Amino acid sequence: MTGNFTLFLIALFVAAIWSGWDWPYIAKLMPVYVAALPGLLLAIVQLYRDAVGWQSRAGNAAGGAIEMDETHSGIADKRTELRRTVAFFAWFIGGAVSIWLLGIVISLPLLVFLYALVDGREKLSTALIMGACGYAVISGLFEHTLEMRWPAGLLLG
Amino acid sequence: MEPSIAEAAVKGFLNIIQLKVFCAMLVGVGIGTFTAVAPQGLGIPLVYAILLPVVIKWEPVTGIALLIGASSVSAICAAYLPVLFGIPGGAGSQATILDGYPMGQRGDARRALGASFMAGGMGALIGTLTLAAAIPLAKPLIYLMGSPELFVVVLWGLSMVAVLAGRRPLKGLIAAALGLLLATIGQQEQSGIMRYVFDLPYLLDGISISIIALALFGVPAALDLAVKRLGVEKQPAPLTGKLLDGVKDTLREWWLVVRCSFIGVWVGIVPGIGSQVVDWLAYGHAAQSCKNGRASFGSGDVRGVIAPESANDAKDGGDLVTTLLLGFPQGVSTALFIVALLAWGFLPGPEMIKRSPDIIYSVVWIQGISGIMGTLVGFVLASQLARLAQVRYSIMVPIIFFFVLMGAFSVTRDSADLLLVVGFGILGYFMRWYGYPRPAMILGLVLGGLMERYLYRSMASYGFSWLLRPAVIVLLILATTSFIFALRGRMRGAGAQTAEVES
Repeated sequence: MTGNFTLFLIALFVAAIWSGWDWPYIAKLMPVYVAALPGLLLAIVQLYRDAVGWQSRAGNAAGGAIEMDETHSGIADKRTELRRTVAFFAWFIGGAVSIWLLGIVISLPLLVFLYALVDGREKLSTALIMGACGYAVISGLFEHTLEMRWPAGLLLG
Repeated sequence: MEPSIAEAAVKGFLNIIQLKVFCAMLVGVGIGTFTAVAPQGLGIPLVYAILLPVVIKWEPVTGIALLIGASSVSAICAAYLPVLFGIPGGAGSQATILDGYPMGQRGDARRALGASFMAGGMGALIGTLTLAAAIPLAKPLIYLMGSPELFVVVLWGLSMVAVLAGRRPLKGLIAAALGLLLATIGQQEQSGIMRYVFDLPYLLDGISISIIALALFGVPAALDLAVKRLGVEKQPAPLTGKLLDGVKDTLREWWLVVRCSFIGVWVGIVPGIGSQVVDWLAYGHAAQSCKNGRASFGSGDVRGVIAPESANDAKDGGDLVTTLLLGFPQGVSTALFIVALLAWGFLPGPEMIKRSPDIIYSVVWIQGISGIMGTLVGFVLASQLARLAQVRYSIMVPIIFFFVLMGAFSVTRDSADLLLVVGFGILGYFMRWYGYPRPAMILGLVLGGLMERYLYRSMASYGFSWLLRPAVIVLLILATTSFIFALRGRMRGAGAQTAEVES
């Protein structure tokens, strides 16, 4: 599985080199020679490491170093983890699509209300208060106080 | 005529004497306090990522007040979770658990918190004073720098990948290359050529770093909460004892505070150390140098709280020295701070010292004032803040959803913003899953544009002869040395770990 993501990165670097190869030198110096080519070479080395299980053999090979980014630490029940992950992305992508269709002023308070009520199993009153607070921020604060006009959604525009 | 240092300092102060700046600082203090106390893995990088799209539309000083207010207070109030619940309150306060939690357990929680606020406040003050003192010292050197030297300084910043990659240097380099690549999307400033635009007008100006940061850090953080559904399940230690006793302890140990604060400043300034070790360095120093430290540390010795907290808070001042005077970040938060400065039209580093020294001094003033505010907030709200630690995931996740989607959509209010935030959110999820360090990618993204600009100017003005300029050679040696030290530190650590495993 790890190799799949590395393959994706390799494809990305190859596409970047392919697209930029015919540009003048000045334009391709950074994207092609400084970023994509070294990135591609390093990703190929990483793919080899993935294939031979280098990371697991080395354990925490570079282990004395401090971990500077969070690493994935799921929960014991992998099925539940997968289900919750899929549900999370469904909510998130649904929220983004809803903003596109209905506009942000309606969608975001609705998303907050529904998530708290359905997924979070909060009380109706709590979910309603959260949704109302969301509406107050997005409409009251941004649209009316800061005069930031949000575009209407595709269906309501 | 350029203002003198004193004039810049006064103008910097006058910049912040505005109601909206103080309001922004107060909001920042509130957000920072919540970040420090909320146990669900919120951190300043996430807060910066969320705030960035909003604050870049504000006046610079107001935005700076919000950002610096949040980060400064977050460090000062970071002792809550270690003392009351025995869990880390974010990077830099892990060592506080060793003595803070035993103190809480034996009924001295308020004393431990009092000591931590006081030590944090004093540490923040020492860090701020160091930052203020560094500006006049650095100014003469800054005038020796042209584009070639600035290019090497940015290159030096990029070598920080060795640190930001943590335990995965190869994956860190790949992530940094990806960041550099993404930084080149859009119309090239120097040649006018469209790079990776694919006839999409949206991509002409490149991809907004604030959307990428928001998605990379916000989406995985919310996902973590949604999957693990964590809150603090432990009962907090009883909030008993006296805050004032902790203050007295800290004042009595003032020399320890000064020493550890300078450890924090040093860790913040020197590239390549990695700020996550600051509390352990200070704790180790205190355990070795304090009377009977070896026997009493780890069992509720107040000096074990004072040392890491003072160092952790002083580090922010040190971080800003490198960020503002050299223009390269020491971590994700400072990388995002640089993004904000760039969006406001400042070029952090030598150019900013030349052109906008008053803004740098505004940062110094805000850092100092919010440090004091953070200490006061800690003292005044000590009892109430413990309740914040028990906010449920079902409330936190929709709040993060709300700010991530709104923040992203507010950048250009184009539906493509939404597509980007979803795409980079998924990328952030997989990067974390497969151990590709996201800070390294942000570093590449932030420094990529600057690097290209300075390289182009150097080549256009000097050809390859810029490589022989004395200042360039000195800076290259410094950059290489710090890079090697960072790698050596990692290798030593690896050796130590192997030895530990073998034994």
